[in-house]
Amino acid sequence: MAEPKETRKEAGAGLVQYSTENLVPFGPIHPALKEPEYFKLYLRGETIVDVIPRIGYVHRGLEKAAEQRRWTQNTYMFERTCGICSFAHSLAYVQAVEGLTPYEVPQRALYIRLIVAELERIHSHLLWVGLLGHWAGFDTLFMWVWRDREIVLDLVEAIAGNRVHKSLATIAGVKKDIPDSMKNKIVERTKHLADRAYFYKGIVDTETTLLARTRKVGILKAETAQKLCAVGPLVRAAGLAIDVRADDPYAAYGDVPIDVVTRSEGDVFSLLHVRLDEIVTAANAIDYAVSQMPGGPIRLKIPPNIPAGEYASHIEAPRGELFYFVKSNGTAIPERVKARTPTLANLPTALELLKGQTMADVPVVLTAIDPCFGCMDRLSFVDLDSQKQWSWGGEELRQYGIKRYFPERKT
Amino acid sequence: MLIEAIEAILFPGFLFTLGLGFLFEWLERKIAAHMQGRVGPLVAGPHGILQPIADLLKLLYKEEIVPGFADVTIYRIAPSLYFLAPILGMLFIPVAGIRAVATFDMDLLFIIFLLAYSAFVVVILSFASASPYTTVASGRLVLQYVSYEIPLVIAMVTAGVFSHSLSIAGIVEAQSTAWNILYMPFGFVVFIVALMAELEKPPFDIPSAKTEIVAGWLTEFSGRALAFLKLTKEVSLVFGAGLAVSLFLGGPLGPVPTDQILASVAYTAYFLVKLLVVVLLIFVLRSAMARLRIAQASEFFWKILTPLALAQLAFVIILGGM
Repeated sequence: MAEPKETRKEAGAGLVQYSTENLVPFGPIHPALKEPEYFKLYLRGETIVDVIPRIGYVHRGLEKAAEQRRWTQNTYMFERTCGICSFAHSLAYVQAVEGLTPYEVPQRALYIRLIVAELERIHSHLLWVGLLGHWAGFDTLFMWVWRDREIVLDLVEAIAGNRVHKSLATIAGVKKDIPDSMKNKIVERTKHLADRAYFYKGIVDTETTLLARTRKVGILKAETAQKLCAVGPLVRAAGLAIDVRADDPYAAYGDVPIDVVTRSEGDVFSLLHVRLDEIVTAANAIDYAVSQMPGGPIRLKIPPNIPAGEYASHIEAPRGELFYFVKSNGTAIPERVKARTPTLANLPTALELLKGQTMADVPVVLTAIDPCFGCMDRLSFVDLDSQKQWSWGGEELRQYGIKRYFPERKT
Repeated sequence: MLIEAIEAILFPGFLFTLGLGFLFEWLERKIAAHMQGRVGPLVAGPHGILQPIADLLKLLYKEEIVPGFADVTIYRIAPSLYFLAPILGMLFIPVAGIRAVATFDMDLLFIIFLLAYSAFVVVILSFASASPYTTVASGRLVLQYVSYEIPLVIAMVTAGVFSHSLSIAGIVEAQSTAWNILYMPFGFVVFIVALMAELEKPPFDIPSAKTEIVAGWLTEFSGRALAFLKLTKEVSLVFGAGLAVSLFLGGPLGPVPTDQILASVAYTAYFLVKLLVVVLLIFVLRSAMARLRIAQASEFFWKILTPLALAQLAFVIILGGM
């Protein structure tokens, strides 16, 4: 970043500049990125010298919007933060809200939360494994894995009624029960998925071209991971056994044994293994939870007003640790909700890993963190020259909006 | 004269090649789709067989956008120059008999030149469109070309050395007792792998890697130019596979009836069957692998395929000396 700007020119003005350091834009619209986000890649030949991200293309103002909705309504809105780990978002949010209330969530609801959260983990990990195949130019793996992903989506649909946005978590409980008749189906399907995970591990271990693309690519050391505060499968692949499910059990994780999968290499290959192994452990956890599920009610009726106070909850979303902070002033509407998504925590690590890799590794390494830019984007202002940082409150946003859309109106 | 013109334009020249190109593109998409658990093209024609033609026509209708910073002259001319290479090369491949449409004493060298020429034209047109992605792609193209060309040419020359001929027709004629592949199986393998790199099929689709550099050297092309480039890729497959058939699988040779017309039909049928085997091999291989990095591809060609091709050449020379 400290380099003078003149030495860096856009590539493509002919033969002369190829030998020097040049800029190849990666995004905001790019086949490897499913969401718009811009990365300036500075290349010397094929090697990446520097990466400068420009985030914020899919900022949606969800946190602000939460301050205009009731506590329950927000559950469904935060679920829509992400189309993949939707249940994780709603779960983290309702847990934060439950922290402010004196009610005890029914045991059965906690078990159902665990089952759906683990199904979602299987779904998310399968999705990533398939996409990695696509990014590495192995479309057959992509299609096969995504075909298996349909199984888990169907299962989620059978439980919640929806494939993507489950709308299952609610404050002090869950909205839908898992009937006994469905238990067999869940166990059978998840067992099948675990078998498929073993099958894909076989492919990943033996397919030479895939090995060449993933082994010793984007190696993350444990110290770097700690220094840059990486979360989720990324750190577990680097050898650190950090997992909120085991470290600070929520839902029914205290009762259900969870094996924390770790590898020591830290490269993309070990990430593949961690994620595929986590599919197996998730399947085991679901199996156990379904057999041990207690009876009783699945939700409590609670008043719309939440007692005043602040609470933060964290859960292990499929991509890593997900934080939700809520602040209540005792009314039916939250005063402040703040989400910290795993993608935001992992992005500095991904950018660090990219340096020194080749252009061909960009899609593989950048997306090794399983980025979800739509979840990540927040609004804040930074002035690089004076190192000043600030954010806008509601009134400033309102003024900006009025100025932007009604320039003739006086405020 | 009239017969030659018909041969060059209708069969086994231009239109025949084009038709095969369309057919093979459909086959590739269908096979890849079925291997991946999809259905592939389905709408245009029975089982979607007309899809490649429909795609071509659609592209011809599309608006053509020339980037402001492109070298317009080259950008305009290069696609048709590129199209020339496989069409011209196809005339040297014997299809309906031992004789090809065009042939001369050393046409194998001309074919090697054509392969180099088409790679050169792609680099030129890639630079001419002058965007960051095409610039990276042209760097990759050059490196990939110098990687695969050496084993490819050695494999081709091996067939020539064994047949004591440097013309395709001569090589085909020399295989009337036994196909070259029996003596040079590794030469055939090297040729097919190098051909996949020439055709930019996975795992060697590095210069047009979608998830890395958008569409590689094709990024800035649209409309008619893109249609032409895509068509050339299809025809190149026919040409390359035809070359493999002629050099290693005995070309159109096989037991034929004495009647001249029936013999031509039989020759064509043999040629098509062998061609089909080669392209099926390529299609199955391409669906089963991930894309390599350019450095890995170079390493593979130089460290593994080139020694293999050289060993095959040495073996063939010793065999011929005995």
